[in-house]
Amino acid sequence: MSGSANHQFRKAKSLIASLLCSVAALLVIAPLGLIFFYLLRSGLSSLNVAFFTNLPRPVGEPGGGMANAIVGSGELLALASLIGVPVGVLGGVYLAEYGTARVNALLRFVADVLNGVPSIIWGVVVYGLIVLPFKSFSAYAGSLALGFMMIPLIMRTTEEVLLLVPGGYREAALALGISRWKTIVHIVMKTASKGIVTGVLLALARIAGETAPLLFTAFGNRFWNRSLAEPIAALPLQIFTYAISPYDDWHRQAWAGALLLVAMIFLINLLVRFLTRGRAARVA
Amino acid sequence: MEEKRHILGTFDEALRSLRENVLMMASLTERNLNHAIAGLLQRDDELCALSIADDAEIDELEKQIDKDGIDVLLRFQPVASDLRRVVSAIKMNSNLERVADQAVSIGRRARKLNQHPPLQEIELIDPMHRHAVAMLRDSVDAYMREDAALAREIKPRDKALDEMNSNAGRTLTERMGDNPEQLRGYLNLMFIARCLERVGDHATNIAEDAVYAVAAEDIRHMHKKPAIEEQHSPEV
Amino acid sequence: MIETLPAMQTTRVRTVDFMQPLTDQPQPDAPAFGVKNLSMWYGAKEAIKNVTIDVPAKRVTAIIGPSGCGKSTFLRCLNRMHELVPRTRVEGEVLFAGQNLYSPDVDPAMIRRRIGMVFQKSNPFPTMSIAENVLVGLKLNGVRDRNLLNERLEKSLRMAALWSEVKDDLRKPGISLSGGQQQRLCIARAIAIEPEVLLMDEPASALDPIATMKIEELITELKANYTIVIVTHNMQQASRCSDFTAFFYMGALIEFANTAKIFSNPTRRQTEDYITGRFG
Repeated sequence: MSGSANHQFRKAKSLIASLLCSVAALLVIAPLGLIFFYLLRSGLSSLNVAFFTNLPRPVGEPGGGMANAIVGSGELLALASLIGVPVGVLGGVYLAEYGTARVNALLRFVADVLNGVPSIIWGVVVYGLIVLPFKSFSAYAGSLALGFMMIPLIMRTTEEVLLLVPGGYREAALALGISRWKTIVHIVMKTASKGIVTGVLLALARIAGETAPLLFTAFGNRFWNRSLAEPIAALPLQIFTYAISPYDDWHRQAWAGALLLVAMIFLINLLVRFLTRGRAARVA
Repeated sequence: MEEKRHILGTFDEALRSLRENVLMMASLTERNLNHAIAGLLQRDDELCALSIADDAEIDELEKQIDKDGIDVLLRFQPVASDLRRVVSAIKMNSNLERVADQAVSIGRRARKLNQHPPLQEIELIDPMHRHAVAMLRDSVDAYMREDAALAREIKPRDKALDEMNSNAGRTLTERMGDNPEQLRGYLNLMFIARCLERVGDHATNIAEDAVYAVAAEDIRHMHKKPAIEEQHSPEV
Repeated sequence: MIETLPAMQTTRVRTVDFMQPLTDQPQPDAPAFGVKNLSMWYGAKEAIKNVTIDVPAKRVTAIIGPSGCGKSTFLRCLNRMHELVPRTRVEGEVLFAGQNLYSPDVDPAMIRRRIGMVFQKSNPFPTMSIAENVLVGLKLNGVRDRNLLNERLEKSLRMAALWSEVKDDLRKPGISLSGGQQQRLCIARAIAIEPEVLLMDEPASALDPIATMKIEELITELKANYTIVIVTHNMQQASRCSDFTAFFYMGALIEFANTAKIFSNPTRRQTEDYITGRFG
């Protein structure tokens, strides 16, 4: 019967379609799996106590580590957050609570363009703004470059989560004679606090692995950084330096550093997952 | 001015049905009253019996209208003119039923009178009857046509009926003295006159309800002193 | 007697009003609000058209009318909440305690502390406990005194008829309560700052009949201390719990009178057609 043949044909088509989708899905997941697999295989062996506690050592001398780069990255991220979080969050508050439609459209457009600016451009800009006038690479310059990158990211996520807070809460607070500013801080932002923290964490995860903006700003340092006005080591920079070197033991260290970096980003994302769990339900 | 229909068609339907039943009630009541009086005037026991027997029909209809009225209150929660119409319909219903009860009383008395030789004083009854029936008909008419002016005329007309009743009472009392062996018959005639006077009172009540339904005015007990009116002030 | 029939209220509320059923333009000695020639525009659209009305103090005034007739907008003009919507413009004046709410030196936040509001959708703050919700208005307006806060907490919850239901759960989130309780919590929150007026924008329209009755009972109790203006779609509700009723149609005030009068014998044809449910 032709109906039956037709049926068979359609079944086959459906099978092929679902097969293609599965392959595509696999292609999406595979890189993550491959990266982890590769990093674990190449880097795990070098991820020892010395890696976390020692300074880098010259080629051939065993027991070198990346302690200064790990701490340096932490310092850079903390300083970058000091710039990026307040400006980004306040910008988001402006977009969600104050701005007029025209100003907001402009701000959003600018933020989206800035989000798309290649990260090396930030390095170049800060190089021109800070490094040249002060005639020195510095932790300040590095964190400024990273902070600039955080601003548009945090601004847009903050705006989005604030807009998710139902207008009824604003109305209720204002109807109690609470001032606009207190309403925003104590009611709206408090309600959206998890969302705002999530946005900050995602921005941190995004910039934690940035290398390019640090090349002309933080520059890197083989020793402990003594002043924020001096060059500072950072995990991605150290990985970059070691990876392009011709030496095998430096390569192994680079693998370990890369593994640490990916694990950190993975953990941040897990934390974000945890924070955003059930958020949709609560807002509704 | 043509009244607009309700958005709820069933509401219009329920109000129309209530109205039609009240109209039916009024016409049955008037018929019973006519039967009873005809039974008296024509010395026809069968008509008397009819006016008594047909009361059962009216009692049924009374219950039905009350039920329908409460049903409308319950289901549609009428307000304003709708509420006034429904409330008036329920009150008219009860007045009409009492008129029918007067017809029953008249029928009973007439049957007793019919067992004795005719009394000439029966001629006192006919004009009272015609007056009472006219009042009843006009008051129901005023409600149905929402004619407040017509309704307001009913009350003064009741005065004339009361007058006729007291005249009849006086005349009949005199005759009792002249003609004591007919005492029973005169008493029955007095009673019938009194029944017709009551019909006029009910017609007045109906007219007052009609004024309330149409104009939202309470014209009752206007002649009484405020102290007495106080007793009728709200006790919800 | 006939006059009493349309009334669905209790004797307590009504006795005086019934005595003069036909002269019922509300004429309070000192109205809570004196609204004079108030007009309001959303952009170019005139939402409120030249409304003049004296809202009686310590009474419940209901505002009824079809959707979009401007009744909610009018309510919001009474505490300037309409200003949250951009591009609104007001003409005319609203006198409250002898002062025009719209004169330039008036701070809307101060106005709103004296004129509270309860909304259609109950909106306890989701991050706050029951107690915090009640006290948020006081705390954010700078009250620190523990004793005062505790006293207001219990008093407000008692007045909102919620105390007995929540007194052991004051630390639980406000949003853990049922819909009707949440709305009473919002009423408690509004009265905790001791306003003089409560504006209620369809406070029971999202509630089941039992919860609705509790809110209505509460309104009847609260009017001893507050001037209440309630917007409602539910005409039975207006006739049950208000003393005066204003009928709005297309932004204009069509009729304002004693509630018993409006629902038994309205003066205007538009009012009659609306409340009896006839085609407009």
